[in-house]
Amino acid sequence: MSQRIDVIKARGKRPSEEFNPGKLKQSIIAACLSLRAPEGQAEEIAQAVEKGVLAWCEGKSEITSDDIRRVGAAILQKHHTEAAYLYKQQLTVL
Amino acid sequence: MDLALISSFAIIVFSGLIHASFQLSVSVLTLLSGHSLGRKTAHRKVMRLMNSFITGVLVLTLLLISAFAYYMTVFIRHSATTEQLVAAIVCGLLAGLGLATWAFYYRKGEGTALWLPRNMARYLSSRTKATKNSAEAFGLGAASVVAELVFVLAPMLAAALAIVTLPGVWWQIGGIITYTVISLTSLLAVFVLVGGGHRISRLQAWREKNKRFLQFVGGGSLLILAAYIFVDRLIGISLYGAF
Repeated sequence: MSQRIDVIKARGKRPSEEFNPGKLKQSIIAACLSLRAPEGQAEEIAQAVEKGVLAWCEGKSEITSDDIRRVGAAILQKHHTEAAYLYKQQLTVL
Repeated sequence: MDLALISSFAIIVFSGLIHASFQLSVSVLTLLSGHSLGRKTAHRKVMRLMNSFITGVLVLTLLLISAFAYYMTVFIRHSATTEQLVAAIVCGLLAGLGLATWAFYYRKGEGTALWLPRNMARYLSSRTKATKNSAEAFGLGAASVVAELVFVLAPMLAAALAIVTLPGVWWQIGGIITYTVISLTSLLAVFVLVGGGHRISRLQAWREKNKRFLQFVGGGSLLILAAYIFVDRLIGISLYGAF
């Protein structure tokens, strides 16, 4: 990732911040681990999702947090269906 | 057991079940277990956090129902007219809340997001994520009862009304314990399921799939309880007198 990508959070209601792929990776790992997936598998899946989202970000200077969740969940779906469901649901449980 | 005693306990048990059907504490407990497992927390510690959360809910529920029962005792003071007035207010609250539950308990869209101020939801969500020890989990449990108070106030008041008409202190203490324990059944179910190794995603999927049914049952039960209290505590008192 060469150029800076800004993330618009909560539809602009919260200040935007620079895209941090590490944060995305941690969320994916947490979603996998909360389903008792082995750590190694969670790490591998998170790397694949991070790579996929970074590829999707190519050429974009601004994305939204909803985009990251949507694209991340779609990639995660191919690797771990239940983790993808949980990752998508995280913001709509409460 | 006479019929008045059975009727009071029926109200307490039914109110407790309605309280248990409300989903905010269940959502917070589901999130708490998910975040804890996602942080590679040991199973035993996850269970300890969940246990502390449920204890927090238990303590605040116990305090609230005891306080409501106490204030109702002071307010009613064995006067049939005052009891009728309180019963009428409780009936109105139950019916209004029943209709409100049918109309907007869940937010539109995917998930199980509830109709509560978004700031409150965000606060509970961030606190859930930050909870790492038993004291924080206890506080979170208590906070979730406060956040849910707008929904559980009416069934709590209905139970308190039934508790104050029980004959004697020990019956009243029994009524308070019965209500509190029954109101915790949904949380205890989540505790047992997570403890037994069930996946949180399956739990959440079940909740999402059945959310409209739970909403219908919750709202309908409030209306049924309103109708029962109307007949038992308003018309009943008018016809037969108090106590």
